[in-house]
Formats: sequence, structure tokens, C-alpha cells
Amino acid sequence: MAKTTSGSASQVDDRVAVKYTDYYATLGVERDSSAEDIRKAYRRLARRYHPDISSEDDAEAKFKEVNEAYQVLSDPEQKEAYDQLGRHRSGEEFRPSGDWGGQVWQEGGLEDIDLADLLERLGQRAAGSPASGPRAGGRRRAGAPFAMRGQDYQATATISLEDAARGLELSLDLSVPETTADGGVRTVSRATKVRVPRGVVDGERLRVAGRGGPGYGEGPAGDLYIDIHLQQHPLFRAVGHDLYLEVPITPWEAVLGAEIELPTLDGRVRVAVKPGAKGGQKLRLAGKGLPRRGEGAGDLYGVLQLVTPTVISDKERELYRELAAASSFDPRAPFTPLPTHA
Amino acid sequence: MPDDLTLLPDREDVIALDELMACSGLAHDEVVELVEFGALAIEQRGTAWTFHSRTLVLARRAARLRDDFGLNTPGMAVALAYLERIEGLERRLRELEACLPKGDAGQDAWIA
Repeated sequence: MAKTTSGSASQVDDRVAVKYTDYYATLGVERDSSAEDIRKAYRRLARRYHPDISSEDDAEAKFKEVNEAYQVLSDPEQKEAYDQLGRHRSGEEFRPSGDWGGQVWQEGGLEDIDLADLLERLGQRAAGSPASGPRAGGRRRAGAPFAMRGQDYQATATISLEDAARGLELSLDLSVPETTADGGVRTVSRATKVRVPRGVVDGERLRVAGRGGPGYGEGPAGDLYIDIHLQQHPLFRAVGHDLYLEVPITPWEAVLGAEIELPTLDGRVRVAVKPGAKGGQKLRLAGKGLPRRGEGAGDLYGVLQLVTPTVISDKERELYRELAAASSFDPRAPFTPLPTHA
Repeated sequence: MPDDLTLLPDREDVIALDELMACSGLAHDEVVELVEFGALAIEQRGTAWTFHSRTLVLARRAARLRDDFGLNTPGMAVALAYLERIEGLERRLRELEACLPKGDAGQDAWIA
């Protein structure tokens, strides 16, 4: 996105470019669709991409796009201003000209501004209200009181299983909106360090109270929310505080039993596989999972997987044949006698 | 305020009704109704209700569903109940998947 300092309309027109977003395409509607059709399209997409109900990976980003498009197209003033821009390709940089540009550019504070910000500012001018703070991550409520709570910030942190187990200090680089002296909005980077306590689990949302955006008027600051994602571990799979470890064993270990060594997050332990072990059986190592917040820890489950060698020596083949001849074990006994059909 | 402080997130804290309302955007009557539906659990009853800080996640979710879909309070309670059930099922699915051999997908459909 082009950056500029504020200036007069004629100066800025030559220099500022804003990336065009095709809001009609985002909602999948024609440009001449009725307000009702736009609302229906929005509802359908909101249901599909709402981050609270969607399981699609990029749901949150999609929902944001859909929400932004609807915010503009459902507001008659903003829709009219947007329609005046004409057709462009999504992502194409354009320079608004004439009245449209002049109305907005003169307000200044255009660093890091996007189309939605411009349209919102235009809508506010048309509605006779002053340009206020940053968009509060969704629809702004009309007639907001002077004292308003600050915006909540959200960040995502992907951490290793080991870090989740011992806790870590996260360095977050937050992109936050900042209101400039002349009433404009710009995005600035803010470094924040957060001490993540041990015992966090995948999908957990941490809250740091009062570390979001500053409040408006007498309003309190918003909060900072951090979504925790655990990286895939080469050995362990985490489910809540429990860990699962795939434990391959040989056919003879399964039959005869064995004492085997297993890795855990805090060193190796020896465990006994009982004779006659089956694939899928779980060995539970109590308290060897991820630590919990207060006391204790989840469990570690070693899941036995019976593996057979694919390459065997002549000697091994000979022994297997000998075993086959000597054994009376018949795992398919329940299949006999075969059912007969009259 | 400097930004390089090391901050501690809330953990097993309790939060007051006012804070729950301010941080979630739910109105007093909505919180009361959601408690009556059993969608939000109270940590301590009496004159001043308190909630577990975990409840804030649910309350914020309820408010988002209200704002984005125009749900009323019974609607929010039902949606929260379904989402809780889905999360329980997803957890069970992850447990079962964790018991399967890694990278074996596709090898199960073995036909003689």
C-alpha cells in the first residue's frame, strides 16, 4: 500500500494509491443487486465462515473480508461512494479523483489506510459525525457514548510442545491502529512480551487484561487475547493435557512380552509390555503428559503398534515356517464353520 | 506505558459480573438469562456473582453470535450448547486419531 503524508487534495491525488477490493465479488452478488439480496448473501457467507462455527482453515480471514464488504455495501452512503469508484480488478491500485478523493484526502492521516477506512470516513462525514477512532473489529454501534472501552487485540502464537510444558516468554509484534494528532488512523507495530505459563493446551485463548487498545474518553482499555497453537511434534500427539505416543513393537515382543524404553518429555522411562499384547493397546504413564496449571499433569499413552518386518533373512523365514507348522493358533476360528446359505 | 514489560495472562482467576459484561459486550439481562439456561456457569452466587475467567471465552462467543447473526438469548444458549458438544466430539475424535498409526491413511483399503 502506498504511504504518504497528508496534504492538499490536488497534491495527494497524484501520489496516493489505494488497493481496490471488489466487495460485490466478495459477497458473490451482482453490482445491481438489491439491499435484500446483499443481506441474504452476507448471511449465507457469515454462517459459512463465522470463526465460531466454521471448521475451514481460513474462516477467520474470510469472515473478515465478508464483514468488511457487507459493512460497506449495507451502508447507503458508503455504497454510493464505493460505486462511484467504478470497476477495477481486486488488488488493483487506483487513485480516486475528483470530489470523491478530495473529500477524503483532505482529512489527512492517510498512512497505511485501506479502502474500508476511507469509505468509513466518508460515511461518517456524510452522516455529520466526526472521524473517530479505529474500527472496532466489526460494526460500529451508532450513537456510541463518549466513554467507550478500547479495542481488543488478538494475536496467534504457535509454540512447541516443550515450550507449552515448561512455559515461555513470547515476543509478539502486534499491528495496532493508532489515531494520529489530526484524527486520522494509521497502523503501527507494537512489540509486547508475554509470559506464557506452563500448562497451556492447543486451542487455548489467553487473555491479558487491559493490554488492548486504549479506551475512548473515560472508557477502560481493551484486552489482548492470544490464541495458542501447538506445533506438531515428531513423536507426541497432544490431546488436551494428554500425550499420545505411537510405540512400534515386534511380533515376538507382543507374544513373549518385553521391557522397552520409551521417550517422555522429561527423559526416558522403562516400561513392561505384558505377554500377549495386542496392537492398539495403550500403556498409560500417569502424570507424564503436559503439566496442568495448578498441580499435576496429563497422562502419556503409549499406543502399541504391531509391526512386521518387510525384509527378512533366510534364517528368519525358516524360523517363521517352523513356527507356522508348530502353532495351533487360529485367529480366524470364529469364521468357522462358515455360514451356509440354503 | 512501556510495551516491553513481561505480562502475565490471566490464569485461574475469577472475574466479577461487571468485568464479564464489559469484556464480552453482553448486557446484564443477557448474562442472567444465559446463567439460567446453564450456558454460563457462576463461580460464586450470592449478592455479587463471580465467574471463572474461562467463562469469558464463552460470553464473548455468545456476544459475537448475537452481533453477527442477530441471535436472541435462547438462541445464544442453544448455539453455545451445540458448540460445546461439537468440541467434545472433536476432542474424542482427536483421541481416537491419536491411537491410529501415523501416516497409515490410504493403506487401510487393501483389497486382495
